[in-house]
Amino acid sequence: MKNIYLFYAIVFMSFLTNAQTVPNFLLKDIDNQMQSFENLKGEKLTLIDFWATWCKPCIKAIPKLNEIYNEYKEKGVNIIGINCDGPRSISKVGPMSKALSIQYPVLLNIDSDLRIDLDINYYPTLVMVNQKDEIVWIHEGYGHSDDKLIVEQIEKNLRDD
Amino acid sequence: MNNYYKSVQLSIFIVCFGSSLIAQLKGSNLGEFQYGRLPNDSTSVATVYDRIITNYSFGGFKTRAVVEDFEKGVQEEDYLKLSQFSVRFKKSPFELEVGNFYETIGRGILLRSFEVPGTILEDHSFRSRHYFHRNMLGVNASYKRSKTDIKIIYGKPLNYVFPPTIEKERRRPDEIAAFYIDYSLGKQTLGAAMITHTNGINSDNYLMMNASGSFLKSLSYYTEIAKNTSDHKLGDFTRNTPYGIYTNLNFSANRFGISLEYKNYNRFVIGAGINEPPAGIKEHTYSVLNRSAHVLQTDNETGFQFELFYTFLENSILTLNTSLAHNKQPNREFTFREYFAEYGFVLFDIIDTKFFVDFADDPFKLEHQRLSIGLNANWEILTRSSAEIGYQNQRFERLIQRVEYHVLFLDFQYSPKLSNNILYEYSNDPFLTNGEFATWLGAGIRYKLNRKNNLQIFVGNRRGGPACQAGVCYEVLNFKGVELRFYSRF
Repeated sequence: MKNIYLFYAIVFMSFLTNAQTVPNFLLKDIDNQMQSFENLKGEKLTLIDFWATWCKPCIKAIPKLNEIYNEYKEKGVNIIGINCDGPRSISKVGPMSKALSIQYPVLLNIDSDLRIDLDINYYPTLVMVNQKDEIVWIHEGYGHSDDKLIVEQIEKNLRDD
Repeated sequence: MNNYYKSVQLSIFIVCFGSSLIAQLKGSNLGEFQYGRLPNDSTSVATVYDRIITNYSFGGFKTRAVVEDFEKGVQEEDYLKLSQFSVRFKKSPFELEVGNFYETIGRGILLRSFEVPGTILEDHSFRSRHYFHRNMLGVNASYKRSKTDIKIIYGKPLNYVFPPTIEKERRRPDEIAAFYIDYSLGKQTLGAAMITHTNGINSDNYLMMNASGSFLKSLSYYTEIAKNTSDHKLGDFTRNTPYGIYTNLNFSANRFGISLEYKNYNRFVIGAGINEPPAGIKEHTYSVLNRSAHVLQTDNETGFQFELFYTFLENSILTLNTSLAHNKQPNREFTFREYFAEYGFVLFDIIDTKFFVDFADDPFKLEHQRLSIGLNANWEILTRSSAEIGYQNQRFERLIQRVEYHVLFLDFQYSPKLSNNILYEYSNDPFLTNGEFATWLGAGIRYKLNRKNNLQIFVGNRRGGPACQAGVCYEVLNFKGVELRFYSRF
């Protein structure tokens, strides 16, 4: 019975709390340079794409994210790719990112601690963050026309800003 | 005493409730109900697995608690445990974490932690389910600036084979203390690590050095050399010395990328397997290839991997991969070879198509002249709805037998709400069938109720066997029945 009360208390408190925020992280990019979230985040919105080279929907999403990045980078929106490949395939991240002409920064997170920290359980997951570093939208997976959904959310959050 | 506990609980609640207005309490819950048969089950069995994660942040502090629950009605296999708990304090550039944490040194030659998202593990020997991860229990202190990264680690890595029903000493038999430092000058980084490992019986020291960087925007490299320094001279890389050497060279030009890897591992299994050097073998997502992946033998393996990507205009992608792994055993030697090609393109502007061919020879697994082919086509039917069809075939010679696998799947998606799929598999592999042939038919539905909750249902027969995900290879059990999974964030 005590556990049930505790569970309800946790759920109840979660409604009262502020939105989840993204901590300022420091990770190396594919050119071996340390980059921080603080320096890379967009003026108004930031889209963080958690992906891996072995994940087919992640690769499918990249050309569309490139288009979105080019369309919105002047409007205060930035995209950061967080690659979560482990030791087995991390060597391929650089060549693949360059072959796919990824325009936005790609950072390497070999032990996935940022993904675990934000409780991300699916590849790809797109996390939309506002200028207060609060998570305003999370989208899991990538299918046909999901780019339209992402654009809708960007527009909505830019309007709300 | 009872009043004392009540007061403590009330105090905790008030503190959490009060501070919650300026803090964050977030988390998720994964619940899975299974009703069906696993290998060696004579009747269908109902099981429930649940994992609840709570993250509580306040200023620079963060606590993370993971509670896992498994109920089957068998006392030795059921449990309800706080399986992970950590307290972290972060004030840039310092970070201190006490409890359970994830840490990898370099490319995992000395130490690797991981969590395979969404995977619940069940072993042939221990019929209790638990989340698939390998973390550390101890203390992790780090200092991170743009040029310097320093880590001091003490802890006990988890041996993930053992479920939470097994006593702590068996689940965490290894104890390590490690120090890592790297320094960057421009785009070049030099690093070094020392690690002391003990399991109560043996104690070993290891030294690792790594270098990484890039030149001219098109060339990058990573190299890591590690060895046991307990009873071996620093320059000794002979057969009796445990060592690991890994090198990777990358080249990228416009729409073009190449990755070349070299590995040389000798007697390099640390403890119960707390390290995981890069395998140097491609991790495939196609099921016939994923399940026949060569598993790295860190006890003795040398080899290389070469991969090329080329993106044509209109985003067509060509991937070519070849790898070789050579294993020396006291009386025999084995050489694994693989050649893989995949081409992804858009047909008639609406059909995403992928085609692959793979040829391999794996004498270690007695799979000779292994040829695999496959085709995937995914097209948009209406706005936000798409269909996908895929077929894969694999055939190889084992001893004097010709073994075949066929995989056919259909998928329908209404993005982002609904996804349905049907998977059919056929095999005449005597290792699986005990007869002429066997078939597996399963259907799945994934429904997103809203942005915080989703539901997955599987009905049918799922083929077991080896599987590799997120770089980690493990065994999946055959399953026949119904599986319902509910995931929610709060």
